[in-house]
Amino acid sequence: MIKNIFKILFLLAFFIFTVSAREKKETALPVFEQPLLITSAGQGAEVYLASVLAKRAGLNSSLSKIAAPKDMKNIKTLVLVLGASLKGLGSAGLDKAKEKERINLLVAEAQKKNIPILCLHLGGEARRGKLSDEFITFFLPFAKMAIVVKSGNKDRLLSRICEERNIPWKEVEKAADALKPFKEAFK
Amino acid sequence: MKCLKDRLISGLLLLLSLALCFFSTQKFREQHKKETLFPSEGLASREMLSSYFPGLIDTPGDTEVYIYGGQNPGGNILILGGAHPNEPAGYVTAVILIENIQVSQGKIIVIPRANNSGFTHSEPQEGNLRGYSLETPGGKRFFRFGSRLTNPIHQWPDPTLYINPSGQKLSGQESRNLNRCYPGKPKGHLTEKIAFAIMEIIKKEKIDLAIDLHEAAPEYPVVNAIVFHENSAELASYSLMELQQIGFEFRLELSPNNLRGLSHREWGDHAQVMAILLETANPSQGRLKGKSSLSLIIEGKDRNYSKAAKFGLLFVPFDSEGIPVKLRVARHLAAIKILLSSFNELNPEKRIEVNHMPSSSQVKLKGIGQFLCPPYRK
Repeated sequence: MIKNIFKILFLLAFFIFTVSAREKKETALPVFEQPLLITSAGQGAEVYLASVLAKRAGLNSSLSKIAAPKDMKNIKTLVLVLGASLKGLGSAGLDKAKEKERINLLVAEAQKKNIPILCLHLGGEARRGKLSDEFITFFLPFAKMAIVVKSGNKDRLLSRICEERNIPWKEVEKAADALKPFKEAFK
Repeated sequence: MKCLKDRLISGLLLLLSLALCFFSTQKFREQHKKETLFPSEGLASREMLSSYFPGLIDTPGDTEVYIYGGQNPGGNILILGGAHPNEPAGYVTAVILIENIQVSQGKIIVIPRANNSGFTHSEPQEGNLRGYSLETPGGKRFFRFGSRLTNPIHQWPDPTLYINPSGQKLSGQESRNLNRCYPGKPKGHLTEKIAFAIMEIIKKEKIDLAIDLHEAAPEYPVVNAIVFHENSAELASYSLMELQQIGFEFRLELSPNNLRGLSHREWGDHAQVMAILLETANPSQGRLKGKSSLSLIIEGKDRNYSKAAKFGLLFVPFDSEGIPVKLRVARHLAAIKILLSSFNELNPEKRIEVNHMPSSSQVKLKGIGQFLCPPYRK
């Protein structure tokens, strides 16, 4: 009888330990604050997807495709939507160098003001390639967290960068599935 | 005697030449015949494009405009097929809509042969077929495979450099490309007049959402795409996510504001309409295609493209199964359906209700012909 009680107590303790460990792992994910500024890193059109996700998540957000440090006043999270588009760059009057310079200034301002950066890669496989990969490898390392669509991470480029730098990351099947982790990332 | 023999031979050769001319002319003139379309019972009225802009009366640019609904107020939608007549999925999707839909709230206007002149010829040196047949339950229906550009017989000569109505400098032949001529000019050349007439429809019918159906070569970066004007960014984003949920991968592309004359740019800028252009992948118009054939148009199969895909040169997956036209039409239908439902979600005061629109899954399963009327229907 006592032996059985010990067995039950042991199992209970094990259960409590695993649940609390899991919770600890989940709470280890960074919690971002609102309002958030959404901008593109590469001028891919997925910046609009991110804006719709923020709206659906009920987050207080603003969208600026060509955001500058002055736009970060009162901002508590910077969302970088990774992915390059030559048409998008041309339309914004930018080239690769100018876009990188713009994002560098934003990242520097975020670091100065201690504003965390959340990176999203929502374009999947279509938003990969030489140009997009440059923006990914350049700016993903600055993220406090990343959410990526699975088809864009087939070669594990995004997850490898995150794992090497201990950046928590979530992989989702489709862009719409990013809503849940995006919403949960905010207070 | 010798003189008589020479005359006889000359006469025979002349007759032979005349006969050849006659028969080739017949073939050539056949290209100007429009295939009959069979609108559904939901058709409210059929107009000509010239009724919106009389400058097109008695020109090869005049074309049919099919109007559905309008009895109960709601959203007004324009769907354009055949802006580029060498992109069959755009044209066939418009025909399927014409022959099936009924609209109980709002209004849908379909122009299947937006560049009517482009259907009357094929592109030189491409070796393209004159058209293709689709099997319906009651027999085969023939559809013209035309050219991306207006027929040079109807608009000639091309300028060396074309400055379009929006001020964009383009190569001369682009003056015959409808999707480079917006917003058009009432006193411009034929293609500019067609573009102007389409702008008139958008304005006079108070269109809320305008969809331009296209196809692109698999090696072109903007393919399997929703191209959107910034005023329809939310609609395009909502729709993309919904399309992904039902298994259709699309890429999202913002209409560049420095590339002027295209529908998705000028419709939005000049008429403040939500402007969307849809692209599917069509190997029969690509630069890497092999021999032009019926299989290339219908089945979308091409060995060169399969090889190119292996080398990573394409922007869409491509294997020996090809990308059949039924799949491309299914993509267009799925996108239209989702765009309409997203439009309703975002604009509940301007709902549009469409019935009997074939679903993409049905088209994929049963084929296009099952949703086309048989050729003998009156």
